[in-house]
Amino acid sequence: MSASIGFGFVAACAVLSALFVVRVKNLVHAALWLGVTLIATAGLYAMLDASFLAGVQVLLYVGGVSVLMIFGVMITRKHDGLVVEAESTSGPRGVFAAVGLFAVLATSIVMTPELDGAVAVETVTARHLGRSLLVDHVLAFEVVSLLLLIAIIGAVVLARRRDHGVERKELPAPRREEVSS
Amino acid sequence: MSGLVHGAQYAVMIVSSLLAVIAIGIWFERKFAGRMQSRLGPTIVGPVGLLQPLADVVKLLQKEDIVPKDADRALFDLAPLLAVLFSLGAAAVVPFSPTAVAADLDIGVLFILAIGALMVIPTFAAGWASNNKFALLGGMRAVAQSVSYAVPLVLVVMVPVILSGSMRVSEIVTFQSEHHWFAVWPIIPGLPAFALFFIAMLAESNRIPFDIPEAESELVAGITTEYTGAKFVLFYMAEYVHTLVGSAVGAALFLGGWDGPFKPGLHWMVLKTLLLFTAVYWVRWTLLRFRSDQLMDLCWKRLVPIAVGLVFLAAAWVQFVPGAR
Repeated sequence: MSASIGFGFVAACAVLSALFVVRVKNLVHAALWLGVTLIATAGLYAMLDASFLAGVQVLLYVGGVSVLMIFGVMITRKHDGLVVEAESTSGPRGVFAAVGLFAVLATSIVMTPELDGAVAVETVTARHLGRSLLVDHVLAFEVVSLLLLIAIIGAVVLARRRDHGVERKELPAPRREEVSS
Repeated sequence: MSGLVHGAQYAVMIVSSLLAVIAIGIWFERKFAGRMQSRLGPTIVGPVGLLQPLADVVKLLQKEDIVPKDADRALFDLAPLLAVLFSLGAAAVVPFSPTAVAADLDIGVLFILAIGALMVIPTFAAGWASNNKFALLGGMRAVAQSVSYAVPLVLVVMVPVILSGSMRVSEIVTFQSEHHWFAVWPIIPGLPAFALFFIAMLAESNRIPFDIPEAESELVAGITTEYTGAKFVLFYMAEYVHTLVGSAVGAALFLGGWDGPFKPGLHWMVLKTLLLFTAVYWVRWTLLRFRSDQLMDLCWKRLVPIAVGLVFLAAAWVQFVPGAR
């Protein structure tokens, strides 16, 4: 019983904060709400005994991705004071996509017959995960890490190429109105 | 349900003992700093100034709570609370003795790192919500700094994990009490890993020489510029708690935790934690502040490559030295 109360609470947190992410006007707030969503998702993982996944989720997504998004917002958007406006122009399409995805997922969950009974699932520990990633599937793991490395180097190359040809003195003077206090 | 009761008991115990240590710690730091600078430190309030922290707290709590007119009110209020919460979080998985641990998680080390990564959010939120240029700059610097230093921190923390073969902090300590403390043996990569951990911990808790988010000589007071009274106290406390919990983590991961000669137990863990805590202040009152670019240089060009090398060495040690695990 207490497990389902806990699930309800965490799930409600996840859904509500996700709603805030797309509805809040201020982009920085939206990015912080995204952090809440990701923490709540990590809570769901922890409740499903996937504690390693929960830890990695917080470490990488909350500590990494959402912070990166905040940085992206601050560096790329022009903002006056504390409000970074979010311009959402595709509301109806978004609602349509969300409802459609929910319908597909819900039907596939309901149609799956094995979910009726309680099935005992072995808890996956970090040890299991490590063994399966670095022993059983080591080739796939290394290929993925190589791919990520290529992506990182590619990103650096793209970012540097844009810098070429722009001399220091040609850079525009810093904008005065960036943060008005 | 008993898990909840157990957790609540330990939470109360840990928080109250941390608060007590911080109160004494403030007095100790002021005395210590005074001695290092050839002065006496606090002497007026109470015997040898012992009641100074109390006077400080009363003074700070009396102050008016000023909120800037155009501040982001909700975030401004929330940030100090979150800072204290996240800096306390890691204490949950640190075992202080074989029995005294709030939650001995299977993924203890990962939990510590994850909670540490969260600290970025209140720091940034405070800088942003203050609507002050100095605070915003401080916030940006803080985020850049802790995101960068998280990389070597994660890597060196993997050294004890690899050497002991477990991420449960209590198992790492047990392994050390059965073999050697990791800071002592294997001396390479153990000792350099411990040194790197200490440096990264200083940077993560924004202590001198890594206190550029505060940098009072260039940024007024960085993220805490607009904070007054009780909220300022919370930030101040969060910084102390972060340092203290970081010291406890270092003591458990590298210095053998509760293990020690004569009688192993809680007292050794407390002693080691406090020694590391003192070392932080020793460094703080000895060194000058780095510049932002020096900080990034140190992290990405020195610490990260060394940390990667240490992880390799640890793996090689486990693989090739007979009886290593």
